[in-house]
Amino acid sequence: MRKLWVYLLRTLLFALCVAAWELGARGNPELTEFFPPLSLIFPTAVQSIAQGELPRHLGSSLATFLKAYALAAFIGLTGGVLLGRWRWLFHLFEPPIELLRPLPTPAMIPIAILIFGIDESMRIAITVYACTWPILLNTIDGVRGAEPVLIHTAHTFGASERQLLLKVILRAASPQMVTGLRISLGIALILVVTSEMIAAVDGIGFYILETARNFEVAEMFGAVLVLALLGYLLNKTFVSLEGRAMAWYYGSKKREAR
Amino acid sequence: MPLLEVRNLRHTYRDAKRGDVLAIRDLSFSVNQGEFISLVGPSGCGKTTMLMCLAGLLRPSQGVVLLDGQAVAGPPDNLILVFQEYNKSLMPWRTVLQNISFGLEIKKLTFPEGNRHHLERLLKVVGLSDFAGRYPWELSGGMQQRVAIARALACKPEILLMDEPFGSVDAQMRFELEDSLLMLWQEFAITILFVTHDIDEAIYLSDRVLVSGRRPSEIVEERAVGLRRPRDQVRTRSHPEFVEHRTRIYEMMRTFSEQSPA
Amino acid sequence: MRGPGRLQAESRLWGYLFLLGLLALWEVLARAEMVNTLLFPRVSLILTYLGKLLTAGDILAQVAISLARSLSAYLIAALFAISLGIVMGYYRVVYEVVEPFMEMLRPMPIVALIPVIILFLGLGWQMKVFIIFLACVWPILLNTIDGVRGIDAVLVHTARTLGASPMQLLRYVILPAALPVIVTGLRISVATSLILMVISEMIGGMNGIGFFILNAQRKMRVLDMFAGIIILGGIGYLFNFLFRLASNRLIHWHLGMTRLTRR
Repeated sequence: MRKLWVYLLRTLLFALCVAAWELGARGNPELTEFFPPLSLIFPTAVQSIAQGELPRHLGSSLATFLKAYALAAFIGLTGGVLLGRWRWLFHLFEPPIELLRPLPTPAMIPIAILIFGIDESMRIAITVYACTWPILLNTIDGVRGAEPVLIHTAHTFGASERQLLLKVILRAASPQMVTGLRISLGIALILVVTSEMIAAVDGIGFYILETARNFEVAEMFGAVLVLALLGYLLNKTFVSLEGRAMAWYYGSKKREAR
Repeated sequence: MPLLEVRNLRHTYRDAKRGDVLAIRDLSFSVNQGEFISLVGPSGCGKTTMLMCLAGLLRPSQGVVLLDGQAVAGPPDNLILVFQEYNKSLMPWRTVLQNISFGLEIKKLTFPEGNRHHLERLLKVVGLSDFAGRYPWELSGGMQQRVAIARALACKPEILLMDEPFGSVDAQMRFELEDSLLMLWQEFAITILFVTHDIDEAIYLSDRVLVSGRRPSEIVEERAVGLRRPRDQVRTRSHPEFVEHRTRIYEMMRTFSEQSPA
Repeated sequence: MRGPGRLQAESRLWGYLFLLGLLALWEVLARAEMVNTLLFPRVSLILTYLGKLLTAGDILAQVAISLARSLSAYLIAALFAISLGIVMGYYRVVYEVVEPFMEMLRPMPIVALIPVIILFLGLGWQMKVFIIFLACVWPILLNTIDGVRGIDAVLVHTARTLGASPMQLLRYVILPAALPVIVTGLRISVATSLILMVISEMIGGMNGIGFFILNAQRKMRVLDMFAGIIILGGIGYLFNFLFRLASNRLIHWHLGMTRLTRR
């Protein structure tokens, strides 16, 4: 009964938003240039997808995204394990980290342009830079926070440093690693789009800015919606993979909360 | 007229997995002014649900609760419920003194001797004078529960409902808390309805013990306790009357748990 | 005696020496012309230039413009998100109805909306404030909802049996109990506000520190660029510091409690 009400209200709210957009846009024809009705956006979006322009830009962004994300994950995870496991290394790198961390990452874009020019390597570099932070810092936290009793237990079973690292510490730190990876997912998308807007000739960020400048508003909205969908799907995929891989962790958490 | 009267109380709640669950079936009893009355029953027999109904925190499915002849609709002014989970019911952002004065602030009460003085005297009675400026999470479990009790008493309610308040403290602390509660009960001349699953504790504290069966709860036995006050942890508990009450209540509860299917 | 505190201070010292070493390496490489000094001028040159820039004061006006934008957007976002979050956290129906919409909108990269918002609000401060606002709302909103939903029912029941009215419940129980979690959201949003401030000024700006840095790069005024980046880092550091100071006062009880229970 209650569930039914919730569904009903949800549908109503959704319909209301769609109707408000549609009617608001149709009611002000002088605004259509900025604010096209939804019924105009969808055909245009479908058309730009069919013509291959939107998929091409999207594909370019996705490629940048995947390369940068994989590289950031590699750097962040290995760096995090090293810094988390070896105290002296952590202390060595702590001051440089503290110095760079508070700097808003997009401020590095101009430097990246200086070094890499305005091709894809620049976009990858800046995205890697921004994404590495959460992964690195969370991994360090996770590795350093590994329950000492767990480590002692492994030692009494005669585990070597290698076994300890692979079988205990990495598993114990994995929830934080995953948290870092999840945070970075959103950051990667932001930095790819931002860098494409600032300096690129392809990619979905470039496309959105370009269509906006040419007042091709329906194309622009179409691209924004596609990008929103991409963000949603990436997040959904990550969460479902995470749920499967981390089932033991969430189970134990739930037990503790009781 | 009894101070608190429960008439044909019944409550079912909805559970996502089990559907409708009957927590209380047709419960009736009354509590007189100044009485210390206990309700014993096995764990999970709907006692907390009952107390929530009595305190006006939960609307019962059927039946009425009368306080001073008035039907309880929301949390009444002169009745306070003390929960078992003192660690969850104390406000971690308030010091001991601030926690105890919470009710006064909320109800905007003023005492003729001055609120500050009133609270300090209360702290002394519960033996927490030295901890007024501490935070509850810095105290032991027994002390935390004393803070929770003092907080309720600070408002000078007519009746105090207590939900297994000593259920999660160790045995030694429990004896101490029982004795300080009896002392406070006499000092403040209030009425206490005490819910517990510990038969000995119920007999030791009370003028009258109500025994409820398994869920769904109803009163299956009522025993008046005539043991002399002030009571003593050693002598009272070894008194023949005490032993007789305990035997009877224990037999009663055993019969009822055998009768109803688990 | 070598206590653990002393040991830590010692290893931190090595860290600072390492940092100084890196900067010295840069200086040496630049002096030896082993890096392109058009792109990477000597550190000493950058620092003296930074000093000149700060004393000249023009840059401070740019910084003030940027800070006014990000701070006002941040405050509006905090006010909006905390109130909405309390309503959504407290009333389950509201949460259940709105939740799927949030889940749909949340992964949306806010920067993609910049061109859209430029169309509606132009290139002025309104656009930037709105962008920063949109980005800052999320962390605060989600944390507030979590914080309010995480409050134990016993606490709420206790306050009610002690006679708290709905408004008193909000003020004396819900707000303070959820505050530690809300503060986490507020902290994340401090960084978010600076990031979006820089991005919005880079993409659609004619002034502000973000524009200053990107413009310097485009005109190959590398000293300006590096000095601007250092200033921006200083702002980030200052904001973090001030925030920690404020939150330590606001929820000092929570810090004490977690320190105690962690033992």
